[in-house]
Amino acid sequence: MNFLSNLISGLSLGSIYALIALGYTMVYGIAKMLNFAHGDIIMVGAFAAIVFINNLGLPMILGVLLSVVVCVAVGVLVEKIAYKPLRNAPPLSVLITAIGVSYFLQSLAQLIFGTNQKAFPKFIQVAPVHIGELTIKGESIVTLAVTVTIMVVLTLFINKTRMGKAMRAVSEDRQAAELMGISVNRTITITFAIGSALASVAGSFYGLTYSFIGPYTGSMPGIKAFVAAVFGGIGSIPGAMLGGILLGIIENLAKAYISTELSDAIVFGVLILVLLVKPTGLLGKKINEKV
Amino acid sequence: MLKVDNINVYYGKIHAIKDVSFEVKEGEIVSLIGANGAGKSTTLKTISGLLRSKTGSVTFCGEDISKTDSYKLVSKGMAHVPEGRRIFLQMTVQENLEMGAYTSKSDIEKDLEDIYRRFPRLAERKNQIAGTLSGGEQQMLAMGRAMMSHPKLLILDEPSMGLAPILVQRIFDLIKELHESGTTILLVEQNAEMALSIADRAYVLESGRVVLSGTGEELAASDEIKKAYLGG
Repeated sequence: MNFLSNLISGLSLGSIYALIALGYTMVYGIAKMLNFAHGDIIMVGAFAAIVFINNLGLPMILGVLLSVVVCVAVGVLVEKIAYKPLRNAPPLSVLITAIGVSYFLQSLAQLIFGTNQKAFPKFIQVAPVHIGELTIKGESIVTLAVTVTIMVVLTLFINKTRMGKAMRAVSEDRQAAELMGISVNRTITITFAIGSALASVAGSFYGLTYSFIGPYTGSMPGIKAFVAAVFGGIGSIPGAMLGGILLGIIENLAKAYISTELSDAIVFGVLILVLLVKPTGLLGKKINEKV
Repeated sequence: MLKVDNINVYYGKIHAIKDVSFEVKEGEIVSLIGANGAGKSTTLKTISGLLRSKTGSVTFCGEDISKTDSYKLVSKGMAHVPEGRRIFLQMTVQENLEMGAYTSKSDIEKDLEDIYRRFPRLAERKNQIAGTLSGGEQQMLAMGRAMMSHPKLLILDEPSMGLAPILVQRIFDLIKELHESGTTILLVEQNAEMALSIADRAYVLESGRVVLSGTGEELAASDEIKKAYLGG
């Protein structure tokens, strides 16, 4: 029973990683860049929610929803100001810029909110559920329900809608997509908007899970979500979901049964093993072009 | 319909296109022929805005498009089937066709039916991933995808590349059909014989310059062309 409850909290943590990993993988697939500032969007979202709820006294759910708007604005703005001018620059320049943006957001948060951790409001309070001897935290259930719903909607969006198909077209062949009349710049903007919205939701649930938020809060889940995206096969949307969820489960089980200190090492160790056996990640694939 | 006036295109320091000018009139089939690296594809990419010229202009239907974003040209009536087909290999056949109709205002269902009637092979495989198609089928898909936007001007870059002779014939028949139904065509080919046989007019590119031009028949009969491109 203990094992099951560890598994479920791992699943809930993993679904948060999955939301963040989706942003990484979509931006990588479509803009062909690793947005290392993506993790800090989580922190921006969490602080925005704190301001809306604690400082402005808005209803909690409204505060969380508004934080999504703030993150979308910040994500799109970062893309416009920092990445768009580098659209044709070497990948390394873009990568370094992304790291710069990451430090910028962290320092900005420090200037505004100071270095101390702030308590994150418990915006959802649900009684734990008991099934026989098994106890599941209410928050875990809500987190899972929300994240799974988002993932289902996102999958339908990507596979069924005109915009979603255009995103896949851009991700596969930017020039050919342009020749179809698809605006690559607009598609990239939309991708950043979606990725930032997901990161913001992840930020609120991360705050709910860990209760405290600081200027550096985004970096660790950001890195783990990046690992999850690579683990699942970077560029693959189902890969990011699978990678995120597996990572959360492995991390939680490692904490429960092996060692809390070593849990991160175990997570990264598993990544190395997977990449040794399957360098493209679990669901990453390469299609050979016919000439 | 299309007027290319004195364009010069560079890849870094390499001067790839030198003072190239030519014209495609409404209802024509115009071929650009030339050896590998003569600048044929570069010229086409400059027309469709993927590359920019340092000088001169490109005019399409009376409008200067030399600075227009590439993606805006489809809705103005230009479709470009790039070299190597460039279909979306990880998307289904039908999704590829839908992408061709991305800016289309007409009835997509009906247009899909038309394409499937023309290419029954594509209909059979419409839910298959395009990467699993044979080379010939991929070329049909690339042409079908371009047709979905109902272009006034269809630009084709090496449509016969890598195809068996019977398929090459099929592609050229299709080009003639499209032309007869009112589409203006700009064709780039290494297969000079085929390209000249269907062209109203043709231009010969050599090292980034237009060195000869004339009607398809004139060029096919010219000794220089015979020697350089038609094998004697």
